Amino acid sequence: MFSVLSYGRLVARAVIGGLYQTDSRDYSLVTAICGFGEDFRKGILKKGMCYGDDACFIARHRSADVLGVADGVGGWRDYGVDPSQFSGTLMKTCERLVKEGRFVPSNPVGVLTSSYYELLQNKVPLLGSSTACIVVLDRQSHRLHTANLGDSGFLVVRGGEVVHRSDEQQHYFNTPFQLSIAPPEAEGAVLSDSPDAADSSSFDVQLGDIILTATDGLFDNMPEHMILQELKKLKNTNYESIQQTARSIAEQAHVLAYDPNYMSPFAQFACDNGLNVRGGKPDDITVLLSIVAEYTD
Amino acid sequence: MLTLLSMFYYICLRRRSRSGTRGEALSSRRAVESGQRATLPISVEVEQYAKEVLDFSSHYGSENSMSYTMWNLAGMPNVYPSSGDFTQTAVFRAYGTWWEQCASAPLPFRRTPKAFHSQDYIELAFEEPVYPTAVEVLETYHPGAIVQIMACSLNPFSQNPPTDIRWEVLWAEEPTKVLTPQARQFSPSIKQLSFPTNLIRVEVNSSLLKYYTELDAVVLRGQKDRPILSLYKMPRIDICDLSDSDEDLSDPGHINLGNGYFDKLPYELIQLIVSHLTLPDLCRLTQTCKLLHQHCCDPLQYIQLSLQPYWARLSDTSLGHLQGRCTLLQRLNLSWTGNRGALTLTGFSSFMNACGGSLVCLELSCCHFLSEPCLEVISQTCPGLQELNLSSCDRLHPQAFTHISKLTQLRRLVLYRTKIEQTAMLSILTFCIELRHLNLGSCVMIEDYDVVASMLAVRCRSLRSLDLWRCRNLTERGLAELAAGCRLLEELDLGWCSTLQSSSGCFQHLARNLPCLRKLFLTANRTVCDSDIEELAANCPALQHLDILGTRMVSSSSLRKLLQACPKLLLLDVSFCSQVDARIVQELCGLFPNVAIKKSFTQ
Repeated sequence: MFSVLSYGRLVARAVIGGLYQTDSRDYSLVTAICGFGEDFRKGILKKGMCYGDDACFIARHRSADVLGVADGVGGWRDYGVDPSQFSGTLMKTCERLVKEGRFVPSNPVGVLTSSYYELLQNKVPLLGSSTACIVVLDRQSHRLHTANLGDSGFLVVRGGEVVHRSDEQQHYFNTPFQLSIAPPEAEGAVLSDSPDAADSSSFDVQLGDIILTATDGLFDNMPEHMILQELKKLKNTNYESIQQTARSIAEQAHVLAYDPNYMSPFAQFACDNGLNVRGGKPDDITVLLSIVAEYTD
Repeated sequence: MLTLLSMFYYICLRRRSRSGTRGEALSSRRAVESGQRATLPISVEVEQYAKEVLDFSSHYGSENSMSYTMWNLAGMPNVYPSSGDFTQTAVFRAYGTWWEQCASAPLPFRRTPKAFHSQDYIELAFEEPVYPTAVEVLETYHPGAIVQIMACSLNPFSQNPPTDIRWEVLWAEEPTKVLTPQARQFSPSIKQLSFPTNLIRVEVNSSLLKYYTELDAVVLRGQKDRPILSLYKMPRIDICDLSDSDEDLSDPGHINLGNGYFDKLPYELIQLIVSHLTLPDLCRLTQTCKLLHQHCCDPLQYIQLSLQPYWARLSDTSLGHLQGRCTLLQRLNLSWTGNRGALTLTGFSSFMNACGGSLVCLELSCCHFLSEPCLEVISQTCPGLQELNLSSCDRLHPQAFTHISKLTQLRRLVLYRTKIEQTAMLSILTFCIELRHLNLGSCVMIEDYDVVASMLAVRCRSLRSLDLWRCRNLTERGLAELAAGCRLLEELDLGWCSTLQSSSGCFQHLARNLPCLRKLFLTANRTVCDSDIEELAANCPALQHLDILGTRMVSSSSLRKLLQACPKLLLLDVSFCSQVDARIVQELCGLFPNVAIKKSFTQ
């Protein structure tokens, strides 16, 4: 008898829940950026949205909100190429593609592919390589579509727990998947992954979900539980609090990066692979912190 | 008393409005009303950027790209007020006189009016129709190309388009030289319009420019309400209006004397005099008297016919009226005409059936009225056709191109930016073995250019010029076969063909096999190196135009060798070649003053 009632209540709840599932409000992402370039001299926001060799972008379109980060591979500096040029141009091109509507929200890999193709259409011979991570929120369908190539990535936090996390793509230790344009003489020797090699995923999001998109400068220095601890302090969805939390995360990662005794996730991974190291990993840090909120014009 | 007067006035006004045209009545009534009003209303001025690019004749960029393409002209500016060669601007395909100097360029048409200078155009749609008060064009690189701005009465977003479409010239001028490549806001004083417009057409002529012009945005300023100043109705001279009255003058059997001194002049002399008139003047002269009517309708006056300058007014009826005179027509230019329903298959095929028999050259650039049956008509009525230009006819169905293979006398074929497919192309190359000049620039639907090159090498051995601009999958195999088969090749455009690798030796092989080479474009092929340049210097003394934009592997020493070995060199584009900086360019310019050495910049 009791079980019948409880069963009936469950069924009723499920049915009513299904009827009210269709939330017709449009969603949007309220995003704040914070970062630190590895080289102190370069300062913050060197060329607008660039931290050292990292670059990022935020773009709004009628149908979607799009974010992206790109981590320029520093090794090009040894060959006289500025690594921030490639990542910066890649992100600016993605931003332009989104603003002009030349993308499909459910296909973030397409954004990377088109952007890479546009880089090749530039008269200026660009050189360099970078990772890339693109996050697209489809306003109407409330779905988050992501594409990740390399070791940058994103976290989705709901109710204090990580519900989604991107995987790192590495060829071997400290050599992530990367988009690159090489000089013709070095074409065979330079690692160049196709945009199609990016990992993509799609899932539903809810109001209040927190999305953290960052380069490996953050994830290599701050383990998940520390990030979650910082995110717990985020109380409301206005831009100022998000900016504050983003800054505190980035600053903490920045401090930890230069701590020689701290067992960072990077050091832990190195030890697991037989390299006896300790301490943080000095690197460019870029953090994009977003909350899913209702769309207001 | 006052009421009687006002009643009287009102009756007169109504009578006038019944007899006059509606437009005049409106303007007169408004004049009356404005006279009675104490204060004039403040008209709202609207400022708009272009919403959409509807049509254009050419562009530098790739068909599915946003770099250097015409679609960048819509929306807000991305670069202005900076100057430089940026990807976010709209760039046309050519500049200067370099393309006109090539053998592949068509001969100019006789009777081109002196006021017609346009080489390229772009049509923009804005959101709201307004009575324009200003049109501003933001030019960000090498400004000065704009020669004409026109406005259309049609609203491109309307569901029921009207049948009569008017184009008015807002501003027109000869091309002038602008000395600096810096950005500028170009805002000429425009004419007042009697109708609201949201469709603007900008026509350009880049022949005086030192490098590609780049446009960032177009601003249309105007009022939503009709301006108070009354507008006189502009007399529209239409070709069909002028041709209307020729029926009255035909009166056989009546010996006509009394043309004064004209009767003393030999027939050929009057023909010579009349041959200097532009087409509208010729049509007007037809109506003056029987003698001049006979002269002006003589088919010998219509051996060459260019209707491109009159594209805005040409219709099926105009073609119908000209039909009777064009039986000996050899060269016909219908470029830019017939869009938005002005020409139809019926009118076109009737004209071609009457006049296509002797046709040798047919220019149909940007003719969006063309369809597959039109091409079929051409293939049937013009068996002797030697030149066919279908540049930018991108709405033409791929199936239509199969009819071109019936034109076996073809020597010049331009298919720039069309959707021709591989099978039709191969079919054309199989049968049109007389081809001298072939333009396949931006033909994105051809899958394998190596096969096309190979077919050219086998069938079209008289080929003099080949434009493979942006042909993405041509490799060294195809190029080698081309060099082996088409030994008479003088012009080769391989710009933006990224699949050609210098390390395969293809460019050196090219240089050794084509001694007649006069033009070689290797734009944005990042693999061009010193040995390629040296090989060109050693084997191609006739070289006149060379473009090696964007390579990092060419140094000044090989360029020096090239400049010394090729005395006829006129154009050398070394933009974005990292080893060739401004100082080296200056030095080379000093040593070789006859060569225009181009070095573009971003900032």
